[in-house]
Amino acid sequence: MNRPSGPIVSEGEDISREAQRWERETRGPALEGRTERRERFETQALKWPIKPLYTPADLDAAGFDYAADVGYPGEYPYTRSTRPNGHRTDFWTMTQVTGFGKGEDWSKRARYMLDQGLSGLILEYDLATTNGYDSDDPIVEGEVGRAGMALDSLEDLENAFDLPFDKLKYLMSVCNAPQPVNLAMIIAALERKGIDPADFVLHIVNGILIEYTCVGRYIYPPEHGLRIATDCIEYIIRNHPNWAPISIISAQLQPAKANPVQEIAFSLAIACAHIDAVLERGLDIDTVAPYINHFVVNVDMDFFEGVCKLRAFRKCWARLMKERYGATRPEALRIRMMTSPTTIALTLQQPLNNIARLGIMATACALGGAGEAMTTPLYDEAHALPAENAIRVGAAIQHIVAHETGVAETIDPLAGSYYVETLTKQMEDAAFTELDKIFAMGGAVKAIDTGYFQRALGREQYERNKDLEEGRRKWVGVNHLAKADEKREIEIFRLDDAMEEEQVQKVRALRARRDQAAVDSALEKVRQAARDGANMVPPCLEAVKTYATHGEICNAMRDVFGVHSADSQLMGI
Amino acid sequence: MATSYQRPLRVLLAKLGMDTHTVGVTIIGHALREAGMEVIFTGLKQTPEMVCSAAIQEDVDVVGISTLSAGHTRSLPKLARLLREAGAEDKLLVAGGVIPEEDKPVLEAAGVDRIFTMGSDTRDIVAYLNAWWKEQQSEEAA
Amino acid sequence: MAARSSGEPNDIARRLLDGEIAAGARAIRWLDDRDPRCATLLSAIYAHTGKAQIVGVTGPPGAGKSTLTDMLVSEWRGRGKRVAVIAVDPSSPFTGGAILGDRVRMARHSVDPGVFIRSLGTRGQAGGLSRSTHDAALVFDAMGYDIVVVETVGVGQDEIDVVNLAHTTIIVAVPGLGDEIQAVKAGIMEAGDIFVVNKADRDGYDATHRQMELILHLRASALPPDAPAVPLLRAVAAKGEGAAEIVDAIATHRVQLGEAGEFARQNSRRAREQVLALVRDGLLSRMIGMAADTVFEAVDTRQIDPHAAAARLLDTLAVRKVAA
Repeated sequence: MNRPSGPIVSEGEDISREAQRWERETRGPALEGRTERRERFETQALKWPIKPLYTPADLDAAGFDYAADVGYPGEYPYTRSTRPNGHRTDFWTMTQVTGFGKGEDWSKRARYMLDQGLSGLILEYDLATTNGYDSDDPIVEGEVGRAGMALDSLEDLENAFDLPFDKLKYLMSVCNAPQPVNLAMIIAALERKGIDPADFVLHIVNGILIEYTCVGRYIYPPEHGLRIATDCIEYIIRNHPNWAPISIISAQLQPAKANPVQEIAFSLAIACAHIDAVLERGLDIDTVAPYINHFVVNVDMDFFEGVCKLRAFRKCWARLMKERYGATRPEALRIRMMTSPTTIALTLQQPLNNIARLGIMATACALGGAGEAMTTPLYDEAHALPAENAIRVGAAIQHIVAHETGVAETIDPLAGSYYVETLTKQMEDAAFTELDKIFAMGGAVKAIDTGYFQRALGREQYERNKDLEEGRRKWVGVNHLAKADEKREIEIFRLDDAMEEEQVQKVRALRARRDQAAVDSALEKVRQAARDGANMVPPCLEAVKTYATHGEICNAMRDVFGVHSADSQLMGI
Repeated sequence: MATSYQRPLRVLLAKLGMDTHTVGVTIIGHALREAGMEVIFTGLKQTPEMVCSAAIQEDVDVVGISTLSAGHTRSLPKLARLLREAGAEDKLLVAGGVIPEEDKPVLEAAGVDRIFTMGSDTRDIVAYLNAWWKEQQSEEAA
Repeated sequence: MAARSSGEPNDIARRLLDGEIAAGARAIRWLDDRDPRCATLLSAIYAHTGKAQIVGVTGPPGAGKSTLTDMLVSEWRGRGKRVAVIAVDPSSPFTGGAILGDRVRMARHSVDPGVFIRSLGTRGQAGGLSRSTHDAALVFDAMGYDIVVVETVGVGQDEIDVVNLAHTTIIVAVPGLGDEIQAVKAGIMEAGDIFVVNKADRDGYDATHRQMELILHLRASALPPDAPAVPLLRAVAAKGEGAAEIVDAIATHRVQLGEAGEFARQNSRRAREQVLALVRDGLLSRMIGMAADTVFEAVDTRQIDPHAAAARLLDTLAVRKVAA
């Protein structure tokens, strides 16, 4: 057979004929009188058909071109890696979920972790705080300090920040709906403690659009939610350029059953909504994109969907920045990802099985490119075994993948696989089709307003659950090889009435002893800024320093923006 | 399709408290609709008073509460009491989500008729509701 | 255990006329289910109807109808009015089930005793309303609610039954949803009494407002010059803006209808239409009970054509009446 030099798939046509011959003469006869074990082979989440065999002919059919579609590490379109040397210089940063912030004293736990040598902390708050209420608001009864820290005022954070800041390099804060208030409190607390903000990285998640889409912790109508998120991004770019003003946690779409194409398209659309909003403030794409390019992306158990999703994500971001915005700097074209095995693949039943699952998913992450950092969740949500063991296992899994498997010894080793490249390209194409649809309807905020995201996810949730119930999806321990008498429960964190009462008294005492006139005046300035369209961070900063409470400042904004009522669209109708 | 007129079952679905996980209510809402029931979704962040009032206005047959928070030990009994006080104790009160085994007897004693823990098969839930409904209708006919 | 929808119709009627919510809810349930008890019930309450103003609220999805209704309810309550809201959503044509989620956006009124919110599925009826919507409005009327809001999705030309049901129909539009929806089908634009552009703080408001102004202008040019102008209002329902103007316009429309005798005329037309619809239903069910199968079979085997078949069935009915 002639081998002309040129693109890898030049023998496509011949192979196509050969593949048909193989089907007829070899595979076909082997199937005689037998049925395949599945009626339809399809990928787990996307339900795309999986052929018995992929060959160069498939790459041809997909219009695959090595230079355009795959390229080289550290070069556009970054499909193989955003890092020129992959993980040969450094492995990805290995981090750990520590099951932390569940009502325990945050700063006690934080001190312990810093002492153990960790240099990054996550500030998570209770549902009262993330929904913009003070601890003594009757609506949050039973929630104070339960899902995380209760943050009513600057005083709480000043107390929590009693920490060895010299050991702290990275602080992440997860408080999406009240972001400007939260940001202001952190800035003020750092000031009070005499900490130089240039000495470490504060990373605010600022994820309000995902809250509207599927998580549900929102306060104001979407256009105002976006506006105050933009205020925080702009403020950080201009005042704290070493900080990170957003993290697009695409992984949060997974419990809502987004498939990989939806994950890519919805989260990129959300990124664009933020980019567009910041561009309107007079900054340019090469400045802005490097601030917005933080993503958290999980992989699920379908190995190839996971690998291909990570590759497609890198390529889609790069293409989007270049084609839609004309970005030129590599920092703008390169996505930053934190990757992780997803917790939704783990079972309550037979928890030891989850160690295998985590190992497999961590391997998929590494093969897909791992990104800047990888996190491994705990293998046992119910913590029936000591959490310490679970943490140790999680860390070990990453080290095993890194040091024992060899998958990170070369960059993007699965590139060139006929299946992987076909699936990657299909995902990319489908993601862009979906993105075009979202842009045509006016972008992510419009999609949220009309319930488009929510309905799409609601359908997926229903369909996937049906797949499980009707046995089309096999889940070991749950509906396959399940132990009949196994009974396990998720541990829920109980209310601590005493702790809640203490916090309630604390915030009331604070209100009694502060300068109320100063508070009122500051709150009026918050309202005025909200009306005027000014950046909300400075007036929030002034307000938190008068010890206006978290709920009071959020209410001042409620007075102007109104509230977004509980959304029937979250049900995906 | 309903031919000779069968009254569709009316089910109210709500979430009490601050927790906003909606996958459970979404799946169940769809499943109940597919089973021919009318699902009235009153939304998130509901109080027992709001749910009781809605249940009366909508004249539902079933009140379904989804909870992933720890507040259920207070809010569910309160809802049961409010329904009783409003003369609506004949409505079926069911709860689903993350409810530890040890809480079940307490809740059942307080008036929750049936608890479906997370991971319950929607077909079981539909079958249970249909069986209950059939029983009610035959009682009525009698 | 008490039966599901227990109650004695005269007792339920008496209690609902007294304003009792549970009784009103039970009555609507019977009407929705076509429970045989609803006949007695309706005759017991009918004399007490004819006062409430029925306000229809319709428009495309995403226009914020429920949020707008929520806002109007607040405004009415502030003026001491008692308000009922009927929110109608489509039932699945395949399973008969429905997800009725409109009351979610009116949650803050759920414990106000002066507000009654009821969700209904269309239950196989085309046109955007259920068969029972009118009757439910009658129940609220009899209970003494001043305003009965009927909220429904009206995108296509088919979903405009609300226009016939309501005394005052509000069409809700929203900026930026696209021309094909803004051009809102001719039927709606001609039949609406009040137009509201919601989410008026959005980009594109001016363009949408202009578009609607133009259409209303064209409509006005076909009417006598002294015909009252059709209000085109703005609202930002999420912030509560625009409520007073809209409620004023609704009140003004009520006065206009009264002065022109239109209010009573509409009630009369509606009642007549309902009687005819019930007669139609009644005829059909009688015929089905009448071994219409043989006639249908004759059509199937092409012995007779459909028109002849219908004539035959009607004749049989007439014969029966005479014999009786």
